[in-house]
Amino acid sequence: MQANPTQTESGGGFRRYFNRDAIMQYGVVWAFCVLILLGAIAYPGLFALRNIQNILSQSAPLGIVAVAMTFVLISRGFDLSVASVFALGAVIFANRADPFGLWGAALTVLAVTFVCGVINGLIITKLDVNPFVATLGTGSVFGGGAFLYSRSAPQVPDNFDFTILGTGRWLGWPISIWIMVAIFLVGGFVLSRTVYGRSLFSLGGNEEAARLSGIPVDLIRGSTYVLTGVCAGIGGMILASRLGVGQADMGGSLALDAIAVVVIGGTSLLGGEGAIWRTAIGLLIIATLTNVFDSLAINTNVQQVVKGIIVIAAVALDIYARRVRK
Amino acid sequence: MTVTPEQARKLAFSATNITKRYGGTLALDHIRLDAEAGMIHALVGENGAGKSTFLGVLAGRVVPTEGEIEIFSKPHVFGSPREAHRLGIGAIYQELTIVPRLNAVANVFLGQPHAKRGLLSEKRMRAEFREVCARFGVDIAPDAVAGTLSTADQQMLEIMRGARSGAELLLFDEPTTSLAPPEREGLFQVMNQLRDQGTTMVFVSHNLEEVLDIADTITVFRDGQLAATGPRADWTKASIVRAMVGQDIVEYRRVERAKAAPGSPPLIVARGVTLPGACEDVSFELKAGEILGIGGLVGSGRSSLLRSLAGVESMSHGELIVDGRGVEWPTRPRHAMRHGIAFVPEDRKHQGLVLGMRAMDNIVMSNIGEVSRYGVISERKIVEKSTSIAREFGFSADRIGTMVRHLSGGNQQKVLLGKARFCAPRVLLVDEPTRGIDIGAKDEIMSTLRSLADAGMGIIVVSSDLEEVIQISDRILVMAHGRVVDELDQSGGPVQVTDILNSAFGVERHAS
Repeated sequence: MQANPTQTESGGGFRRYFNRDAIMQYGVVWAFCVLILLGAIAYPGLFALRNIQNILSQSAPLGIVAVAMTFVLISRGFDLSVASVFALGAVIFANRADPFGLWGAALTVLAVTFVCGVINGLIITKLDVNPFVATLGTGSVFGGGAFLYSRSAPQVPDNFDFTILGTGRWLGWPISIWIMVAIFLVGGFVLSRTVYGRSLFSLGGNEEAARLSGIPVDLIRGSTYVLTGVCAGIGGMILASRLGVGQADMGGSLALDAIAVVVIGGTSLLGGEGAIWRTAIGLLIIATLTNVFDSLAINTNVQQVVKGIIVIAAVALDIYARRVRK
Repeated sequence: MTVTPEQARKLAFSATNITKRYGGTLALDHIRLDAEAGMIHALVGENGAGKSTFLGVLAGRVVPTEGEIEIFSKPHVFGSPREAHRLGIGAIYQELTIVPRLNAVANVFLGQPHAKRGLLSEKRMRAEFREVCARFGVDIAPDAVAGTLSTADQQMLEIMRGARSGAELLLFDEPTTSLAPPEREGLFQVMNQLRDQGTTMVFVSHNLEEVLDIADTITVFRDGQLAATGPRADWTKASIVRAMVGQDIVEYRRVERAKAAPGSPPLIVARGVTLPGACEDVSFELKAGEILGIGGLVGSGRSSLLRSLAGVESMSHGELIVDGRGVEWPTRPRHAMRHGIAFVPEDRKHQGLVLGMRAMDNIVMSNIGEVSRYGVISERKIVEKSTSIAREFGFSADRIGTMVRHLSGGNQQKVLLGKARFCAPRVLLVDEPTRGIDIGAKDEIMSTLRSLADAGMGIIVVSSDLEEVIQISDRILVMAHGRVVDELDQSGGPVQVTDILNSAFGVERHAS
């Protein structure tokens, strides 16, 4: 065999994937590989089909919200209201399942959460309120709305089919996983291959340049909040369906968890950079970690501490990588 | 003479073998340079020649790979602006470091306020502020919020900060790029005064006239090496340029072309363009194939006029006729683009480019529909179409996939122009086409603009470099105080810079 001179010049395959830049860029993938290796040693049942399905279906609501959150963060935004919209979706879905039927309830939730997103988008783009503050405020409003709507009571529908979304299966896999995978695939395609996705990166990278290039910045920025709203609604419906009940306190720390997932994957909080596959890896890291810890019966408080450290490490690494590149 | 030069002169700094490597590239290659105290030293060179890196090393901001510098005979501690400050170094950067929300006094005393037991002595600072103002012959209100001051005043605050904190060696990185001619004069007066008081200054500049005006010594960098250094008297503009590029550069020449037929209708007519506070009732015409220059000082409304026409200023209004048909006045960039008007903003880093994207992504940004189908982008089309545009501006096709952040200023400017060109405009508005870029890139950009005009595009150019305006324009509008005060036609021979300045200042005298 003859040596290929051009390949030697460009460093060959090995160098290309193992130089410092590549490690920085794909570091999160290596971290995940190491994690599942260690995880499999600590918990041999990690790779059992049942366990994998379990991990994925449990993380479906968070994953769906995280996809939309990726869009928001790339546009240099922030959405703290997702937990409330999520809870609102859960209680409306559970409450309306009986009178409207499953499809009717689902459409109602989609419409309401769409409107929540539009409200966020308008406050942020038209009133020019900082996204952090705006969604902190609307989060309180929507959250309060969920409690008022449900009168702080758990909503338990009689409709027997209510749990299909969370526990039903299609082709042997939970429906919630199918929905999550579909949203990840569509999200990834839209972000990396479409005009909309590209405009989002431009906007997050330099809003003024994007505006002067004729990109409708307000429309695009506002639309990302509609995405988080609707995705939070879908997530809320899946969780309510799985538990068979809709409650106004279901959102919990979802907003920060979703942001953590996106950031661990390596999407920057500073906007203009990121990818959906990164969010997928971030989700898998958190989900695997939780699964392994649970199987080892490690205290949830300890888990909290470890996850916090991982978030900080991920962001610090991102900042460090940026400095190295400059 | 009996006194040896070594005894007679005191050195402000003495650099030996300063080398700086960035990855594989050698930004500075064994620079050896001594600078006498109490003088103004100019560093010139093309972009990437190493002059700014060297200034950064002096300022303590850049740590050299090798070499040493003595500042007033003391060894320089690299990498610490704070240590540099203690050695008597003050740096004034091109990007101003004022705090916009604080007032003038607070900005001058930033970091070193007069205080007693943690309480600020406002009175003492004010007194000293007035004193420094008087010393420099400037008049800035102590309570003025820095962000509302003109760029020149903001820069003056920085200089005052440097000078009051006892800096004996002041470093200026391109101090005049954002200043109008009278403001430059003011800055030069202050520099001369500081020199008379014994302060040493080092400044980097692209403007050779001003270098020849004010510097005592001139040092030329080329490709990371020190090409030549010597006292002012040894230099002429031509010899500096020769040292910078290593060869004689061909002066750009105006190409005489057949004018558009006298009867041909104008491409656009703008009437009564007004932007409250900046631009008042401006009217003009632009024909296909014509380059219209707008001359005037900073603050004369020339950029505002361009921005209004580009739809960037939503408060602007006026009447716009495109191809003989009245259209709605653009108040958004998208609307202007719909009329075939594209805009190249002056600040490429903040208004023009997405630095974290590749050159090709930036180029296609202005008309992304051109490289997509049903909303889905084709990478192949991006490469294809952006490459052909980039070539027009002399941008190497090899760099089309490079992240804009890693490109030189000249290449970034080419990408920016390519982006405006990509939406196939009929009218191109260019604000400061060549600010802060080297002579080679400047030449390429100017000749591309010229050939675009020859191909039928109408172009309006605003530049604070009046020579550049004269070089490229067929016709020049002179603006002052937001109004057009004169129109100079170049068909009968080139206009002089003084003609433009006379028109601009003529009105100022009447007005005051």
